[in-house]
Amino acid sequence: MSSPALTQEPVYVYEKPVRLWHWVNALALVVLAVTGYLIGNPPVVTGGEASDHYLFGYIRFIHFSAGYVLAIGLIGRAYWALVGNQYSRQLFVPEVYRKAYWKGVFHEILWYLFLVSEPRKHVGHNPLAGLAIFLFFVLGSLFMIVTGFALYGQGLGEGSWADRLFGWVIPLLGGSQSAHSWHHLGMWYLVIFMMMHIYIVIREQYVSRQAMVSTMIDGWRTWKDDRP
Amino acid sequence: MSTYPDSFYAVMRRQGISRRSFLKYCSLTASSLALGPQFVGNIVHAMETKPRTPVLWLHGLECTCCSESFIRSAHPLAKDVVLSMLSLDYDDTLMAAAGFQAEEVMEETMRKYKGRYILAVEGNPPLNEDGMYCIVGGKPFVEKLRYAAKDCAAVIAWGSCASWGCVQAAKPNPTRATPVHKVILDKPVIKVPGCPPIAEVMTAVITYMLTFDKLPDLDSQGRPKMFYGQRIHDKCYRRPHFDAGQFVEQWDDEAARKGYCLYKMGCKGPTTYNACSTVKWNDGVSFPIQSGHGCIGCSEEAFWDKGSFYDRVTELNVFGVEANADKMGLVTAGAVGVGIAAHAAVSINKHKKTETHKKDSL
Amino acid sequence: MNAIQTPNGFTLDNSGKRVVVDPVTRIEGHMRCEVNLDENNIIRNAVSSGTMWRGLEVILKGRDPRDAWAFTERICGVCTGTHALTSVRAVEDALSIQIPENANTIRNIMQLTLQVQDHLVHFYHLHALDWVDVVSALKADPKATSELAQSISPWEKSSPGYFLDIASRLKKFVESGQLGPFANGYWGSPAYKLPPEANLMAVAHYLEALDFQKDIVKIHTVYGGKNPHPNWLVGGVPCAINVDGVGAVGAVNMERLNLVSSIIDRTIEFIEQVYLPDLQAIASFYKDWLYGGGLSGQNVMSYGDIPEHANDRSFNNLLLPHGAILNGNLKEIHEIDLKDVNQIQEFVTHSWYRYDNENVGLHPFQGVTEPRFELGSKTKGTRTNIVNLDESAKYSWIKAPRWRGHAMEVGPLARYIVGYAKGIPAIKEPVDKLLTDLGLPVTALFSTLGRTAARGLEAQYCAHLMRHFQDKLIRTIKAGDLSTANTTKWEPDTWPQEAKGVGTTEAPRGALGHWVVIKDGKIDNYQCIVPTTWNGSPRDPQGNIGAFEAALMNTQVVNAEQPLEILRTLHSFDPCLACSTH
Ligand code: HEM
Ligand code: HEM
Ligand code: NFV
Ligand code: SF4
Ligand code: SF4
Ligand code: F3S
Ligand SMILES: [Mg+2]
Repeated sequence: MSSPALTQEPVYVYEKPVRLWHWVNALALVVLAVTGYLIGNPPVVTGGEASDHYLFGYIRFIHFSAGYVLAIGLIGRAYWALVGNQYSRQLFVPEVYRKAYWKGVFHEILWYLFLVSEPRKHVGHNPLAGLAIFLFFVLGSLFMIVTGFALYGQGLGEGSWADRLFGWVIPLLGGSQSAHSWHHLGMWYLVIFMMMHIYIVIREQYVSRQAMVSTMIDGWRTWKDDRP
Repeated sequence: MSTYPDSFYAVMRRQGISRRSFLKYCSLTASSLALGPQFVGNIVHAMETKPRTPVLWLHGLECTCCSESFIRSAHPLAKDVVLSMLSLDYDDTLMAAAGFQAEEVMEETMRKYKGRYILAVEGNPPLNEDGMYCIVGGKPFVEKLRYAAKDCAAVIAWGSCASWGCVQAAKPNPTRATPVHKVILDKPVIKVPGCPPIAEVMTAVITYMLTFDKLPDLDSQGRPKMFYGQRIHDKCYRRPHFDAGQFVEQWDDEAARKGYCLYKMGCKGPTTYNACSTVKWNDGVSFPIQSGHGCIGCSEEAFWDKGSFYDRVTELNVFGVEANADKMGLVTAGAVGVGIAAHAAVSINKHKKTETHKKDSL
Repeated sequence: MNAIQTPNGFTLDNSGKRVVVDPVTRIEGHMRCEVNLDENNIIRNAVSSGTMWRGLEVILKGRDPRDAWAFTERICGVCTGTHALTSVRAVEDALSIQIPENANTIRNIMQLTLQVQDHLVHFYHLHALDWVDVVSALKADPKATSELAQSISPWEKSSPGYFLDIASRLKKFVESGQLGPFANGYWGSPAYKLPPEANLMAVAHYLEALDFQKDIVKIHTVYGGKNPHPNWLVGGVPCAINVDGVGAVGAVNMERLNLVSSIIDRTIEFIEQVYLPDLQAIASFYKDWLYGGGLSGQNVMSYGDIPEHANDRSFNNLLLPHGAILNGNLKEIHEIDLKDVNQIQEFVTHSWYRYDNENVGLHPFQGVTEPRFELGSKTKGTRTNIVNLDESAKYSWIKAPRWRGHAMEVGPLARYIVGYAKGIPAIKEPVDKLLTDLGLPVTALFSTLGRTAARGLEAQYCAHLMRHFQDKLIRTIKAGDLSTANTTKWEPDTWPQEAKGVGTTEAPRGALGHWVVIKDGKIDNYQCIVPTTWNGSPRDPQGNIGAFEAALMNTQVVNAEQPLEILRTLHSFDPCLACSTH
């Protein structure tokens, strides 16, 4: 799937639900990171009656709402991986069992190190991107969802759905305070992904041999040249 | 003053249960045991004269403040617990006998009440140096603990020492102080954590067991749900300030005098399961947050090793690096940012060259 | 073995019958005592051993100095708070942090609260049963008890009906056959001298004191949020004051101040109408039991505490006296310099620790705590089943601190001897009065009973000081000063790269010091020398014995099977083993 494309015809790669999900998910993550950071390092409101303000309450509310968006979105995206086109599965199953895949990863690394003069063409994700997206985004968000809902379960209370489903991670991480710390660290993991991701897609937009950003907008992979 | 002998009946009386309902309770018991009404009298008699449940209270490595807390109980008074509700047969801190006479008492209770006494443990056994960091009667405390646990009905692990290890188990835990449930594997262990636990929580747990004749419902960590089911933060009276985003920024600032939320001063109320914000301390006079200091999380496992008591975002140890998440994250994200900028610069440069090259070759 | 002479003047002879008391009960923590009795049942050799160690000094390394109070506070829950206060003082000394006047006042009130409560609990719940025969109280006539009680005190709970109630409760308790904590006591021993009525009165007050002590500590709860283990703060105290502004309900306000005030009043009343009369009544029956002087007639020491004004470290600013007395010379009071490496040193020749050179002592700034459990070759039993200790080798988890090479006694008696020698009226006058009332000479102070009496008198003195400081707090607030914390040096980046400091308190059991070395914002070394480290000290390389061992020497034991006299003398120090070894 991530093998070099031999075609010069445009390919419909990202179906509508994938594109919609991508942008909603991106927004949710940004909101989560900003509100999460503020939860750890609250802004100040001084003076007045406590009942006149609900600033921190709103920040947390937005965080939890975005948390739900992230989690439900990911479930939806996973469903689409089952029913969508072949490229919709790439997110969850990088083809690490294929030798050619690793060769592709290696080639991409050389490309990023400016050691080969030309990148290959890819219909779906390039192998390195696929790997990074899986390691950073898929695993990272799963970790954030599990720890996030475990912490959320502490507020909902013992026996709540979140507690029953995810409560077990808290002792596993060394207690509630440590769970907060890990969840907080997870934010940075994802921030780093977002930085690299955005940089790379924009860069690829200019230097690769295929369309990038527009693919996530209209779904079509178009090509800049007709060589294989 | 209460009536004696302090049987089950007397205890029930003190709980405000009338003689009539006591008799009703006895006949219910009779029928639930499928005994005829002629047995009710016997049950009444047994209930009225039932011996007080013996308690052996052992001390390992600790600071005795669980005992100190216990004697502060206001309802019931510690005096009434000790004289009327149970029989505190062994407790090195309070007992009259010493030396071999003290050890004899323990033996006798174990023999006479085999399977029926409660083992209360304050502190914990160290396992390094063959256990000789805590020596009782010339032998390692852990031996005595195992011995006394052999025939007990249940174990109460008082305080954070017995429940989690507490201060002596803080890194590097030089004595390998080990919580009770990791040493006593074959008996129910009821953890009543806190450093120390609240006096009235201690007496409530024990009187619950005596009154209802069963062990309290425990959460997944082995703590009675009734007192450890919620966080300090869930019932904290400063919570409206938390939600409003009104925080103390510095000790003794205007916000501190107004009683704003102590979150930014490192309060661990959001991560601590205990009853302080509801039951409060010393007959309800106050609790740490009410008196201006954040919760330090004293009922949580290993709360000593969760970074400073004054930090909100606390230290983590990731692959040997000790720093808080924001420090680790900022440094790494910063490095990635620099990397991206450098990469972008090179890319732009190269791209321009190729573009001009392409143009030239056209 | 032949008798050996210790440099501090005791003749030790371990040839007689060896008697072991382990566990020593009604103390804090774990302790073992072995003595040798001669043919007349007189103690000729005494060995006291601290049998627990947790390693707080090791655990503190590398931590944030602002957190240290919470760790050290957990050294002991009985003298709760005193280690915390000592710790914040040590850190403030190292970093030159000045605290607000109110913080000093509140800290004093909390420290005095501890003194009073701890003394009270010690007297009734840890010590009384050495003098009071609970079972004999059953024979008491409630009416006669009431007369006795009313003859010595105006305390209201003294009617015949009241004592009848207590007696019948006690009777039912004893008849149940479940004696609980009183099982297997030394009841009926001829060493008990009180008449049944005095015993019954003491039992009644045992129960009342148990109820009352929990009220005293509510002062900690007001200012520190809880007890045991209230909260403290480097730079001041965590409780803010707000008497009339918005949000005052959540701070130290008028209601809180009133609560503390009313507790102080009731405390003074309880001490003066119950504790002191009982003490005097009991003492009057044991006047001729003057064993247990030990080191008290020779070397005593007090660091001093309860600074009248904040940040004034001079000795005359301290309301509990400062100074050391050597060789019983009350005319000369030595000043103590805790930073002088030649004054305070700890030895480990007989302690289960390792130094590179075990013949020299280390000043706490250079202190090393490295455990090494090993028994001497003359130990009877095995490594994990000790029958008799070998005191010629290492035999205790307590280190041996020395002041200018001397073993010292610390505690209420030491403070009172220093205060008496200095002629401080608030200390000297009550001592003289008590001695006159009992018809005893000043030298009677140097005894087991002297220790017990000094503790009682000190409780009274401290209770009045609580009133003094509570009034002062209100005065300062009235003058408009609400400040309780100084945060200018809160952030570690305001600290020097390296700093050293000492903090001290007079804990209920005596002189307490913490030494801290801070490097790059973290604790580089932390050493505690605790009252019971002094009193319970094992021998040093010169062979000087510590205060416990000295006090036991030459005591006549009535019945070798019943260690009542040993308990009496050990208890008079109020030993705290968790403290001593930490
Ligand atoms: C990738 C996405 C997420 C990011 C970047 C993120 C980030 C953060 C951060 C930085 C904190 C502050 C932690 C602290 O220092 O205490 C936090 C707290 C929290 N997050 Fe998230 N989070 C994410 C996803 C989620 C999800 C899916 C949930 C589920 C509802 C969630 C629930 C929570 C909760 C309950 C807290 C604690 C709030 C409190 O204690 O008041 N988070 N999050
Ligand atoms: C900031 C949060 C963002 C997150 C968390 C995120 C996440 C992702 C994920 C998970 C994928 C894989 C999609 C799939 O296979 O289903 C993806 C692909 C993609 N994203 Fe984003 N994205 C973010 C922002 C952006 C932005 C701002 C752009 C455009 C400037 C962008 C452009 C793309 C493109 C072009 C692809 C397709 C890459 C390819 O074809 O190999 N993303 N993104
Ligand atoms: N020794 C001792 Fe303590 C006291 N008083 C502390 O410094 O008891 Ni636990
Ligand atoms: S749990 Fe805390 S309070 Fe209880 S004995 Fe241990 S250190 Fe003391
Ligand atoms: S003071 Fe602590 S427990 Fe209370 S609301 Fe604030 S963070 Fe929560
Ligand atoms: S520090 Fe402990 S006493 Fe309660 S408020 Fe926190 S759990
Ligand atoms: Mg020490």
